[in-house]
Amino acid sequence: MSEYPNLKFKQVNNSVTKIDAMQLALGKDSYVADFAPPDALVVKMKWSPYPHARIVEMDVTEAEKMPGVHGILWHGNVPRIVHCTAGQGAPEPSPYDTFMFDTKVRYVGDRVAAVCAETEEQAMAAINAIKVKYEKIEPVFTVDEAMAEGAPIIHDEPEAYVPIPIPYEPKKNLVAQVGCEVGDFAQGMKDADFTFDDVYETPYAQHCPIEPYVSLAEMSPAGRIVITTSTQVPFHCRRIVAQTLGIPVQQIRVIKPRIGGGFGSKQEILLEDVVAMFAMRTGRPVLWQFTREENFRTGRTRHPIRVKIQAGVKKDGTITALGMDCWNNTGAYGGHGLTVVSCCGSKVLPLYRCENIHFLGKVLYTNLPVGGAYRGFGATQAFFGMETTMDKMAEAIGMDPLDFRRKNHIVSGEGSPIFAALGEGKEGVPMTVGSCALGDCIDQGAEAIGWENRTDWREKTGRYRRGMGAACLMQGSSVPHIDMGGASIKINEDGSFNLLCGATDLGTGSDTVLAQIAAEELETSTDKMIVYSSDTDMTPFDVGAYASSTTYLSGEAVRKAAADAKGQILTTGAEMLGLKVEDVHCSDAEVLNKDGTKKVTYGEIACYALYQKNQYQIIGTGSHFTQKSPPPFAAHFSEIEVDTWTGQIRVLNYISTIDCGTAINPALCEGQTEGGTLNGISYALTEQYLFRNGRMTNASFADYHIYSMRDKPPIKAILVPSYEETGPFGAKSVSEICINGPAPVFNNALYNATGARLYEFPFTPEKVLEAIKAVKK
Amino acid sequence: MKKSPQTVTFTLNGERKTFITEPDEKLLALLRREGYKGTKFGCGQGTCGSCTVLLDDRAVYSCLLYAKQAEGRNVRTIESVGTYENPSEFQEELVKNGAVQCGYCIPGMIMSATSLMETEETFEDEIVKEYMDGNLCRCTGYEKIWGALRTVLDKEAAKKAKEAK
Amino acid sequence: MKLVEFIRPASLSAARDNLRELGPNGMALAGGTALHFMQQHKPGTAVDITRLGLSYIREEGDFYRIGATTPLSDIQRYRAPRWAMHEICRRISTHQIRNISTIGGNICRVFPWADLPVVLLAMDAKMIVYDGQEEEFGADDYFSSQPAKRFLDGQILTAVKVPSLQAYHGFGSVKATRNAAAFALVTIAAVLELDGNHIKSARVAAGSAIPFPRRLPSVEAALTGKEATSQVFKEASEQAGADAPWRGREGMTPAYTKQLAEVSILDALERAATFARGRSE
Repeated sequence: MSEYPNLKFKQVNNSVTKIDAMQLALGKDSYVADFAPPDALVVKMKWSPYPHARIVEMDVTEAEKMPGVHGILWHGNVPRIVHCTAGQGAPEPSPYDTFMFDTKVRYVGDRVAAVCAETEEQAMAAINAIKVKYEKIEPVFTVDEAMAEGAPIIHDEPEAYVPIPIPYEPKKNLVAQVGCEVGDFAQGMKDADFTFDDVYETPYAQHCPIEPYVSLAEMSPAGRIVITTSTQVPFHCRRIVAQTLGIPVQQIRVIKPRIGGGFGSKQEILLEDVVAMFAMRTGRPVLWQFTREENFRTGRTRHPIRVKIQAGVKKDGTITALGMDCWNNTGAYGGHGLTVVSCCGSKVLPLYRCENIHFLGKVLYTNLPVGGAYRGFGATQAFFGMETTMDKMAEAIGMDPLDFRRKNHIVSGEGSPIFAALGEGKEGVPMTVGSCALGDCIDQGAEAIGWENRTDWREKTGRYRRGMGAACLMQGSSVPHIDMGGASIKINEDGSFNLLCGATDLGTGSDTVLAQIAAEELETSTDKMIVYSSDTDMTPFDVGAYASSTTYLSGEAVRKAAADAKGQILTTGAEMLGLKVEDVHCSDAEVLNKDGTKKVTYGEIACYALYQKNQYQIIGTGSHFTQKSPPPFAAHFSEIEVDTWTGQIRVLNYISTIDCGTAINPALCEGQTEGGTLNGISYALTEQYLFRNGRMTNASFADYHIYSMRDKPPIKAILVPSYEETGPFGAKSVSEICINGPAPVFNNALYNATGARLYEFPFTPEKVLEAIKAVKK
Repeated sequence: MKKSPQTVTFTLNGERKTFITEPDEKLLALLRREGYKGTKFGCGQGTCGSCTVLLDDRAVYSCLLYAKQAEGRNVRTIESVGTYENPSEFQEELVKNGAVQCGYCIPGMIMSATSLMETEETFEDEIVKEYMDGNLCRCTGYEKIWGALRTVLDKEAAKKAKEAK
Repeated sequence: MKLVEFIRPASLSAARDNLRELGPNGMALAGGTALHFMQQHKPGTAVDITRLGLSYIREEGDFYRIGATTPLSDIQRYRAPRWAMHEICRRISTHQIRNISTIGGNICRVFPWADLPVVLLAMDAKMIVYDGQEEEFGADDYFSSQPAKRFLDGQILTAVKVPSLQAYHGFGSVKATRNAAAFALVTIAAVLELDGNHIKSARVAAGSAIPFPRRLPSVEAALTGKEATSQVFKEASEQAGADAPWRGREGMTPAYTKQLAEVSILDALERAATFARGRSE
C-alpha cells in the first residue's frame, strides 16, 4: 500500500463547503427549466407504441394546422444523417445506427415525430392528430432470440456502420464483440480441485435522477443556437448536435447549468437535436422536459447482462482459472454496449491473481429500451457473478471468504494482463497498481460489521434468520489515452481567480473539488476560486463526467493550469520585490522571500500585472490525458435478516469501505459512497422493469421502487486512505465503485443466513423463498 | 368546450396574492409561472416530493394540487425559508454537513422538515421518517440529510421542552 | 378528468344539487388524489366539498365518527383508548399524500389497492351517505360491490363511524409491501373478540391481492369457537384461498401471493390476539 507522503494539505483532504450548496438550499434559479423564458415553446414527442415496426405512412398536415402549433419534426422534414447518441470521444466506439427520425421504430418509446407548440395541451392535441400507419414486425426481446437463426433484423438500414475497426454484424443483431485470452484457461480448469460454472442474470434499471431529462434551446441575437441542457457531456453534445443537424460546430453553444443528477443517464444526446432544430426553425426559445414516465420508458437504462462465470480453485486457495462470458442486451440502439461489456472484464478480472483467464463479451440488439451509461458501467453486473463465485470457491475449500480474498487480491506493485488486453473499443493500457489499501478496507469493514460473530447457516433456525455477507470491488479512474480535459485560471484584482474548466458537475461537487485542487496548487484558499464550468463557448474542452475521471483526469488538468498561473505569479512577484524568481516562493496567497521579510499579496500582484507595469493577464492553462486508470478499491459488508416464511429481506446495516486515494473532499467522498451504495441496494432488492410486449408497465415511482428515508438501512462509509502518485495530490476516484457492492453482498449474506443462493436479481421475496425451499442441508 | 380564465387568491409566503389561473392548472405550474421556481418538477405524479410546498402548514405535493384548491388558504414555498444573509438553521446544517449534492430534492426536504418542526413537540426517529417519507433523493443515500435534520431537531426538541416549563 | 370548472358550494345540500345537475360531468373533490388514477380526457367540473365542516374526529357513544373529508394524516395522528385506525393510515402512501388524501376519497371509489376498505370491513364500520338526509350503511353492505355506484345522483359520503374497540376486542393488520410507500402486495385486517383465550368472534378481511376487498368467511369460520393459538391461526389462514382468488403482484406469481397472504393473515391474527389479551376494559 502506498503510504501517505508527509504532506500537510491545506485545501485538499478537507471537507470544504460545497460551493453551490447554499444556492441550492435556498432554491435559487439553478436548473435548466428555471431559465426558460416565459415565451418558450414546449415540445412533446410522439413515441412508438410498438416494439418493432416500419412506418409506412405518416400524415402531419392536420396536426401542423392546429392552434398553437409552431412546428413538427418527422422523418420527412429532417436530414437523414446516421449517428450515435452516446456521449463518448470521437470517433465513438459504437455503431452509427440512429437517425433523428427514422422510417422504422425499434422499441416501445422510440421517436416517431415531435411537435412544438405554445402549451403542453396544444402540443399533445397535435401529437394525437398525427396519423401514422405502422407495419408491425416480429420483435426480439432476449439475447437468445436476437442470436437465433433467422431472427428478425433490427438494424437493416444500409447506412448503419461502425466508425472504428471493431466487429459489427447487424444482420445477426450483433452490435459488438470483444474478448481476450491469457495463459491456458482450459488447462487451468483441469488443474483445479474444484470448478464452478454458473450463469448470472442482471436486470434492467433506470437511474432515476430526480430531475428528468430536460433541454432548452434559443437563438442568440447573433444567430447561433444556444442549448442549455441537463447533460453530463456538453462538448460531445455540441459535436453530435452539429453532426445530426448537418451544421457546423461553430453555430452551437452548449451550456450545462446546475443539474439534478445524472448517474450516467445524461451521458447521451437524447433531446438537444430536437430543441435545437425547433429553435432554428421557429426562432423562439424551446423547452423540452420529459415526464417521469418518459424518463423510464424512453430514456437510457442499465444494460441487462447475462454473465457466465467459470472458475477453478485449488485446495490451497490458488485460483487456477477464471472465465467470464457476457451477453449484453443493449436494447434497440448500440450506444454504450461495447464499452459496458468491456468493463465487465476490464474492471473485474484484474481484481484477483490468476494466470489463466478467458473473457468474451458479446453485445446484442433487442427491441427493448436502450442501455446507456450507468454508474458502474458493466462492473456492477459482472461483480454480482464474480463475488458470488468467490464465496462459493471459499466455501468449497473451507476457507473464510475474507481470508480467501486476502490471499488472492491484487496489491500495490502488481499488474494484470487484463489491463493491457481490454480497453474500451481498442486495446487497453498496461498498468501496475500504484495505491491499494484493499487489505485495510477488508480489515476495517470486517471489524465494523462484527465479522467475527458470523455463524454458519446450518446452525440457524426459526422464522427470522440473520446472515452476513461481504464483497471486494474495484473500478477505474478515467479512460487512459482516450479522454482529455482542459482548464484555465486567471487572476483578479483582489487575489480571486476565475477557474474555467470543461469538467461537468452533476451535483457531485466537482466544481468544489477542482477549486480545492487549484487552490492547493496555487497556495491560496478555496473560497478565492470562482468556478465556471461546462460551457462550450467559455470553458476549455472536457469529455465530461463519466468513467470516474473528473478528479483524476480533470483534476490534474486543473492542477497543471494552476501551476502554470503560479509560475507567472512568482515571476511578477519577484519583479515587484526586485528579487530573482529562484529566491521567492508562494505561501498563503502571497509571494515572499526566504525569510518572509519581503512579501507581496496576490491581489497586489494582480493589480500590478493588470494595470501598472509590464501589463499582462496572468492566466494559466493546462490539459491532461491519463496514462493509466488506477483502480479505487472497496470492501462492502452487510448484515441482513431474512423472513423465511415470506422471503422478505430486511437490511440491518451496510458498511462501505473505500480506498479512493486522497479524498480531496472527505464529506463529498462519503456522500458519493452513501448515495451509490443505496442505489445499489435498491437495484439488488426492489428495482425492476416489468414488461408486457416490450412496453414497461411500471413507469412511475409508485410502481418502480427506490428507497425513501423511511426505507433506508443505516449505511456507513469508511474512507481508507492511500496515496496515488499519478493522481492530483494522490487522488483516484470514488463515484462508481460503491454501486457494485450490494447485489453480491446480499447474495452472500442470504447464503450465510439460509444456505440459499440466487443467480438473478432483484431479490424479490418470491425468488428468495424459492431458493430457500431448494436448500438441502 | 369553453375554457374560462379564472383567478385564485391565496396567501403566498405571507402576502395575499391573486393570480390568473384555469380550473385545470396545478399549483406547481402556477408557482413556477409566477417566478417561484425553487419548487421543482420531478415526476408530476405525486411521488418524488421535489414539488413540496406547505398548505396551511402541511406538506403537500403541488404537482397534484389544483391551484384552485389553494383558494383562501396559506401557501409557503422554499422562497420563504432563509436568505444568503440569514439562512434557516436546517439550511445551514445541510450545507455544513455536505448534505447537498445535486440539490434538486432539497427545497422539498426543507419544506417537509419545516412542517415537522412546527407541528411536533418531540422528534422520535419513527415520526421523523414518517414526515420525510415523501421526499425522494437519489444522490445522497439520505445519510447526511438525516444527520443535519437530527442535529436541528435535537436542538428544537430541547428548546420546546424548555419553553414548556 | 380534465377540469373545466371549479365550484365551491356553501352547504351540503347545495353540493348535492350541484352534483345532481352536473351528472357524469361532475365530481366531488376533497383531496383530489383519486382523480389522478382516473385517466379520462372528458371535461368535468370539480365540486369542492372540503369547506363543509366534514373534517373531524369525535367520540359519539360507542363509535368514533370520522368526517368524510378528514385527511389521513389526522387519522394517523389521532390517539384514543379504543381506537386503532392510525395503524393502517401511517402505512398509506407518503406524508404529503396523507395530508390531502381523505378517508372519504379512499372509499367512495374503491381501487383494487385500497387499504381502508379492508380495515373498515374488519371493524364493521358504518358509512354515512347524505342524499337529502343521512343514511347509514354497514361495511358488509357498503363494500359488497363498487361503492362508486352509490354516488351517481348527487349522493355524498359525509362520515364513517368506526366502533370503539370494546373489552377483549383486538385489532391487527398487516400491509405487505416492497417499500414503505408502495401499494400493498396484500393487505389483511382482523378484529378478534376473545373470552380468555377462546375466540368468541372474528372478522377477517383482505385486499390488494384480489380484485376487490372482501371478508374471508372461511377463515372466520375456522377461528370462531377455537382457541387463539398459532396452530389455529395457521390452519385458519390456509382456508383463505376458498374466498380469495389471489392474484400475482409485481411480476410475482399467484402462488407466491397465496403464501404471503397466509403468513400475513397469521401475523395479523397474532397481533389482534395480543391486542385483545391486553385489554380487559
